[in-house]
Amino acid sequence: MTGNAKLFWRLMMRPLAREPVRLGLAVIAVALGVAVVLAIDLAGTAATGSFHSSLETLASNYNLEVTATGGVPEQIVGQLATLPFNFVLSPRMEDVAVVSETKKTVVLLGLDLINEANILQTESRKLETGNPYAGEDLSKGFFADDSIWAGSGLGRKKGQQVSLIVGDREKTFTVRGVYDDKNQPAIIMDIAAAQRALGRTEKVDRILMRVPDGQNVDSWAKQIASILPPGMEVRAVGTSTEENRKMLAAFRWNLKLLSYIALIVGAFLIYNTISVSVVRRRAEIGIARALGANRAEILFAFVGEAAALGIIGAAIGVPLGRIMAAGAVKLMGTTVNALYVSSRPGPIQLGFTSVLTAIAVGIGVAVVAAYAPAREAAQVTPVEAMARGRREFIVRVHKTRDFTIALVLAGAAWASAKAPAVGGKPLFGYFATLLVIAAGTLAIPAAVSTVIRASSRFLKKSGVAALLASRSLLGSLRRTSVLVGALATAVAMMTAVGIMVGSFRITVIQWMEGEVPADFYVRPAGNPSVDRHPTISPELADKFAALPGVEAVDRLRAYEISYDGVPTTIAAADLHGTQKRGRTDFFSGRPSEDVLEELRTGNSVVVSEPFTYKHGVKRGDTISLKLGTSLASFRIADVYYDYGSERGFVLMDRSVMKKYLPDDAPSNLAVYVTNGADPRRVREEIEQAARDYRVLIFSNGDLRHEAIKIFDKTFAITYALEAIAVLVAIMGVAGALLALVIDRKRELGLLRFLGATGAQIRRMILAEAALLGLLANVAGLLLGFALSLILIFVINKQSFGWTIRFHWPVAVLSGAISLIFAATVLAAFYPARIAMRLNPVEVVHEE
Amino acid sequence: MRNRAFCAAFLFATFPMLDVPYRVALPGYRYEFPRDFFAHSSFQTEWWYTTGNVKTPDGRAFGFELTFFRQAVSRDESKHDAWDVKDLYLAHLALSDLDGGRFYQSERVNRTGPGIAGVSAQDGKVWNGNWFALWSKDGTQQLRAQNDDFQFAFSLKSEKLPVIHGENGISQKSEGVGRASHYFSQTRLVTNGTIELKGKRHTVSGLSWMDHEFFTHQLAADQVGWDWFSIQLEDGTELMFFILRRRDGSIDPYSAGTYVDASGKSTHLSAADFSLTPEGAVWKSTATGTTYPIQWRLVVPKLDVALEARTRLPQQELMGGTRLAPSYWEGAVEFTGLRANTSLRGSGYLEMTGYNHPIQLIK
Amino acid sequence: MVTLRNIVKDYSADGQLVRALDGVSLEVAAGEFIAFVGRSGCGKSTLLNLAGAMDFPTTGEVLLDGISTNSRDDSALTKLRREKVGFVFQAFQLINTLSVVENVELPLLLAGTNHARQTAVERLSSVELACLENRMPHQLSGGQMQRVAIARALVNNPKILLADEPTGNLDTATGTVILDLLKRLTREQKTATLMATHSAEAAAVADTVIELRDGKIARIIRK
Repeated sequence: MTGNAKLFWRLMMRPLAREPVRLGLAVIAVALGVAVVLAIDLAGTAATGSFHSSLETLASNYNLEVTATGGVPEQIVGQLATLPFNFVLSPRMEDVAVVSETKKTVVLLGLDLINEANILQTESRKLETGNPYAGEDLSKGFFADDSIWAGSGLGRKKGQQVSLIVGDREKTFTVRGVYDDKNQPAIIMDIAAAQRALGRTEKVDRILMRVPDGQNVDSWAKQIASILPPGMEVRAVGTSTEENRKMLAAFRWNLKLLSYIALIVGAFLIYNTISVSVVRRRAEIGIARALGANRAEILFAFVGEAAALGIIGAAIGVPLGRIMAAGAVKLMGTTVNALYVSSRPGPIQLGFTSVLTAIAVGIGVAVVAAYAPAREAAQVTPVEAMARGRREFIVRVHKTRDFTIALVLAGAAWASAKAPAVGGKPLFGYFATLLVIAAGTLAIPAAVSTVIRASSRFLKKSGVAALLASRSLLGSLRRTSVLVGALATAVAMMTAVGIMVGSFRITVIQWMEGEVPADFYVRPAGNPSVDRHPTISPELADKFAALPGVEAVDRLRAYEISYDGVPTTIAAADLHGTQKRGRTDFFSGRPSEDVLEELRTGNSVVVSEPFTYKHGVKRGDTISLKLGTSLASFRIADVYYDYGSERGFVLMDRSVMKKYLPDDAPSNLAVYVTNGADPRRVREEIEQAARDYRVLIFSNGDLRHEAIKIFDKTFAITYALEAIAVLVAIMGVAGALLALVIDRKRELGLLRFLGATGAQIRRMILAEAALLGLLANVAGLLLGFALSLILIFVINKQSFGWTIRFHWPVAVLSGAISLIFAATVLAAFYPARIAMRLNPVEVVHEE
Repeated sequence: MRNRAFCAAFLFATFPMLDVPYRVALPGYRYEFPRDFFAHSSFQTEWWYTTGNVKTPDGRAFGFELTFFRQAVSRDESKHDAWDVKDLYLAHLALSDLDGGRFYQSERVNRTGPGIAGVSAQDGKVWNGNWFALWSKDGTQQLRAQNDDFQFAFSLKSEKLPVIHGENGISQKSEGVGRASHYFSQTRLVTNGTIELKGKRHTVSGLSWMDHEFFTHQLAADQVGWDWFSIQLEDGTELMFFILRRRDGSIDPYSAGTYVDASGKSTHLSAADFSLTPEGAVWKSTATGTTYPIQWRLVVPKLDVALEARTRLPQQELMGGTRLAPSYWEGAVEFTGLRANTSLRGSGYLEMTGYNHPIQLIK
Repeated sequence: MVTLRNIVKDYSADGQLVRALDGVSLEVAAGEFIAFVGRSGCGKSTLLNLAGAMDFPTTGEVLLDGISTNSRDDSALTKLRREKVGFVFQAFQLINTLSVVENVELPLLLAGTNHARQTAVERLSSVELACLENRMPHQLSGGQMQRVAIARALVNNPKILLADEPTGNLDTATGTVILDLLKRLTREQKTATLMATHSAEAAAVADTVIELRDGKIARIIRK
């Protein structure tokens, strides 16, 4: 064994050290791949693993919760408190406030601070909030409306004043005490003050309960629900977290898969590196074989070489991934907040399992990629030890056979793309993308040779450098194909995602044309989020409506519900059909007016496309919604396209909603300006009317602009992943060209003998890079187009339920591709310099 | 430990005493039942205090206590939402397993809130969460409470009319107008019901006593605590005494008592009419470090009564987990002695406060 | 045509100075065929490289067609090579990925000359390989390969032809054919031909045989 280890070291590992640059590139490729995978994994957990994290940590000692759309009537608290069971109850107001000074959003929690003393007793431990009123001088202002207890994370001192925006009002509060919030900044108020601050008296947002252990939580939930009005949702605490997690699963899953692209590209490079090693060391392999090494040992040696690259790469990749995770978590957090649920990203936790997985993935990919060339090495016969003169190993490339397989795979991809989702996941869609990539990779040798041959006359005309470059690429067709394959895969994924995102973007912009018809939109100040619906004081809407130049004000009120275990937004709007109202596109194709008329007159709703997709319902079906204290049935009058959120959306007329939830406060206002009125004047009037309220007023253009900004932020991370994959591929090109230069030293030297200038040599290498880049970009574009169809019509549809219309994002794509092309050529400058500086006398006479 | 500090502060400092002048107990108050069973919101402090001694048919003895306190905090008219704190409701619950040698107790505090605690004359109910006393039209009273250790449900039927303590409708506690309470008791409540302790159900019967007192700021600054006795004697008579202890260790002359004869007629006893002295056994609480005299001698020359009070369970100390109320001893006691040279037995409850800290607010 | 004046060439190998040529002076006229013989490492190849403007002498001067290689930069040397020098190697050194005619026209293409293909085809017929112009190198025999190499070396009408062991990889019969070809072309093209060889038979073809030993001219045999 030691003998073998020595052999392994001398023949296989030692030569590695002679090419630090090329190996360095391979290691970096693995490192980047591992880092990206790890970063997305860590960031995913951090960004999506902790919703309402402050609220949930403050609820950690309860196992049951009672909620209701629009709040739980507070009498329910009394009802539960007097039941003959040993429950611990904690009624709460839960919302957010914005600290005026820092514009930071913090959780605002209204607790029954008197009752918390009971919990203290039963818990026989500190109040879970850290006892906000410890040591307080309670004689003055304990129950005052401006009393708050600030989490230590807010950096306020006892007795200080803090200005907070709550809903659409800004008020000054006094810090009565500071408690250790364990990095989850929150503000605690007494429940009475909180209700008033939030304008929600007579309702509490949630009742947390701890039920006795005697029976399980679900059966308690059932028993309690049977006593309460039908609109009450009684469920285990954490259900919504679980639901959110489920909702986010598709998002995380897609990102995770995307994160593997860089690794796949890295695999191509490992394959290439090991292939080069095998070709270079044929003689050494032959000697080793002649000295008694068996095939398995040779195989092991090269697989071991790859594993070594994998280990080093992973070792660099893990800390790199941890660093990248910090950036990724921000980007992902933006997406999560914009599309799914408001949450503060949790801490990034580099767990043992994640590290182990990352390392295993790094090594695994390296070993798998190296297997084929290593097997080839094992086939070397001892006789080849003597074949010193044989400089080039002519690799057989089965162009035709590979191309045939590619066609079969493409067919399989087509069939796979047609298959339905499996358990909500587009597994066959992913499989189809893999098949397309595999097919593309296998078709590349045939494509490369056909294209180069076809263009040989043109190439010759463009100079001797181009001719030599093209011949050189053809001469090492396998190597060329691997490189083109790696770069093409990266380009393809980038193109595919680029087309998908671009199509999505244009679809959203076009959709907004119809959906955003009003001149001004108003919402409470504070950071927007999809699952919170702070309200505007009802009188403000009336004020606006009375302004001269305002034709109409539409009020929209939204609530959060859990429909069928999926977080859903339910909204009500004035559907009285203003002349200027935009044309919402409905699936049935009916005119908006007809649909809206139906909503006004009956218990009907319209639902968003993602809703139908998530719940398997369609137009004409009946759904039951928990509204206020009731459970009411609604007919789905129609389905509309909605790209605003991935969550399901149910929309009804405001008059219908008010039957169940008679709360007049709107979440949003749409203001229509009278024809002929000056919108700027009207805006000034609106701002004047709203001067005592903290609301944001958006013009139509502003709103669209903001929506697109959010959209772009949302996809920032996808672009970042693409960029890394492309970077890895370009590094691969640099590394491979370097190898090519080293392998062709003799030929390069000869050219100098034959009268080539150094510049000509450099031009030749650059031409090779340009050719590679060109081929890869063209192949990548074609492949990317195919992939984009799968992404748009299969994966996206099955994951999220959006109907995206196909568009070519010409500007973005041509920009990106030019950039990649330029980068590829730039990557060749170093190998080209090496080539130029070779001493022709030495290299030609060396052997 | 910060919690405890807080809770002490809570008790002593929360309630702005003088922001609204509450009504004080003045002579000439006219009682009216059932109205006076329920809340008197214009007074700052009020309590309903039921204690009793019950036994199973096979003789296993239990003592119990269920107490509801109401403490007015604010009478701010501008605040009228359900959660606004006008009154705080504290409640104590205890069960003395006299044969099992265990004492169980718990405590809770709530605001009125949306029906969490309160007093309703309309519903005939005084409650704090799921602990309640409920009067039915016929005058019987249902008493129910539970905690993690036990629960009980009693039906209480009074054999006598409510007894009003003191003179002229007030029970004077110290020198000064209004330093008094309105105080009445139901001294002989025949009690039937069940106790479920650690999953085991016991059918019990016995006698209970209910005190109801309401006042505003009754004690004087130098009064540090009191000892209170309820005595239900086998001959159908009852006695109630309280002695107010001063900071200097002397007995306040405003200490007093009431004698209720078998027909229900009551006689006021002033401090000069009786002597109550700790005698013999003391018990030191390991939890609070407080020492309580748990054996007393009572002599009422006027009635020719001499009694010895002892308890079978020394550790009947209530220590609030919330620390919203100070610790005190309240437990089932037995009386033996002589009346006109005839031996006499009885049972009742003894409450001793201010042994830990001077009592300032509640009793 | 080729003039070497008191040439000294030092190499450093593994930190040690090695003197490859030590005071060599020589004059080769157009149409003259000179063979260098001697053991491996005697300085034959170094001498050819200096004569081919591939390298500079440490001291002394190399004149090609009257032009000194000293104090010239890389591009000037390249230009000199393109116009005046042709190389033939022991291992033929054809570029495998280029066809026969492409190999031959390569120097012209590198020099940017017009009508490269036509000239290349003509050169191929002068080495009697006109019919093989579209073959790939690996489809040729050794002798054919060396003839292609010679055609390539002469495609730019060089004044100087340098051949390093041109028969080293060939059997004797083929070697003889190649040597005859070299000799014929030297006469026809009026090139100054410098050949390094081990073989006595090869040396026998030359007009002058110069024996090198330890970087010095040991003996000159003129015929």
